[in-house]
Amino acid sequence: MTKNTLIRFRNFVLLVLVQVLIFSRIHLFGYATACIYIIFIIKLPRHTTRNELLIWSFLFGLCVDMFCNTPGINAAAATLLGFVRNPLLSAFAHKGIPDDFIPGARSLKWSRYIVYSVLCTSIFFTALFILEAFTVANPLMLLISVVSSTLLTMLFTIVTEFFSSRQ
Amino acid sequence: MQTILNFLIKHNHWFLFTLLEGISFVLIVSFNNYQSAVMFTSANNVAGNIYSAITDVDSYFSLKSENEILTEHNRTLLEELEQTRNELNTLKDNNLLAVHEFTRNKADGFYYKSARIVNNSLNKTDNYITIDKGINDGVHEEMGVFSEKGVVGIIYQSSANYSIVLPLLNGKSKVNCRVKGSNSFCALQWDGNDTRYSYLVDLPRYAAFEMGDTVVTSGFSSIFPADIPVGRIQNLEESEDGLFYRAKVELFVDFSAVSNVFIVGSNGKNEQDELEKSLEEK
Repeated sequence: MTKNTLIRFRNFVLLVLVQVLIFSRIHLFGYATACIYIIFIIKLPRHTTRNELLIWSFLFGLCVDMFCNTPGINAAAATLLGFVRNPLLSAFAHKGIPDDFIPGARSLKWSRYIVYSVLCTSIFFTALFILEAFTVANPLMLLISVVSSTLLTMLFTIVTEFFSSRQ
Repeated sequence: MQTILNFLIKHNHWFLFTLLEGISFVLIVSFNNYQSAVMFTSANNVAGNIYSAITDVDSYFSLKSENEILTEHNRTLLEELEQTRNELNTLKDNNLLAVHEFTRNKADGFYYKSARIVNNSLNKTDNYITIDKGINDGVHEEMGVFSEKGVVGIIYQSSANYSIVLPLLNGKSKVNCRVKGSNSFCALQWDGNDTRYSYLVDLPRYAAFEMGDTVVTSGFSSIFPADIPVGRIQNLEESEDGLFYRAKVELFVDFSAVSNVFIVGSNGKNEQDELEKSLEEK
């Protein structure tokens, strides 16, 4: 239990640093940004309670906000993701899977895992970009940003998953 | 009663969700508020320190080009020094009184400090830049910031060791400018799209200038001295009401590459501000 919590804290700090120091600086074509820290939320074990999920997501968003000068925006979007994650994951958990599992390519199989993370990521980015612009007056721009950012983040998610599932 | 309680306990994550989203929204809305921004921005010490450590490493990668620019800048400064010396000598020859006037004016003017950018954003409608000088270094709000290429922005807020700059690439930023060669002045404002261009708004129609003209600071506000380059006029269009011109200006500063900046403060600033304020109070 303690060991797991320590590992989770270590991952938390590492991901925040990697996010704000490297990935927050990537802006492909002025539209696509990469938010890899949501992998942490996506990959929390199945039996994490919704309250726990909400608090982790909120803290994550807040830490990233602190470095990116965007108070509240990441926190709000990540909290939304934390809120919808458990019902989403239940929809993808097939029969014959252990009761408690960590979402990943091995436990869910690649196809299900990818669809599950694409859904999570796009929900997160839709909230993020709407909050950042604080308007929905430019839906095309919003759509391009959401789609391109989701693709970019998914690229990193798949690469991470590829390496971690081979261990 | 029991059923209501059970219902509340069963759905407690809804309340937590609403609470956390509520907190986030309060943060978003108070984002525009000056005081609360201090807490949550990279001017805060923890974030600032981490960013300057990372910039230390980062800066090694651009040392070569940085050096070339500095050498070039040094050369022009030396030329200017030589020119000023010559002028001074001529004045000396003319009469002593003139020399006295000249040096006195110099001391009344502006003073400069250098700083390094530790954090920079480009992709938002309101961008901010963090620099590694703060109140302890004599840097405070409303001082001008420019690089060797041209104007960068104005200091927005300062903590002990860091300051946040409101760059030209921020919807809230307005810098008083003038087209070189004409005397009419106007404000430079960014539209939130392309980071290479900004716009001169409310240009009077009678002002005479052409495409390719250089835009410089006006020197009317006490933030920047006159004639610091800003950009070049790319194209002219009429404003929506047809009363003014609107000019697209190609900025000299490449905001994605800028790393060293100068901060300019004015000795006469407080005096000018007080004078202007006393006029408003009347």
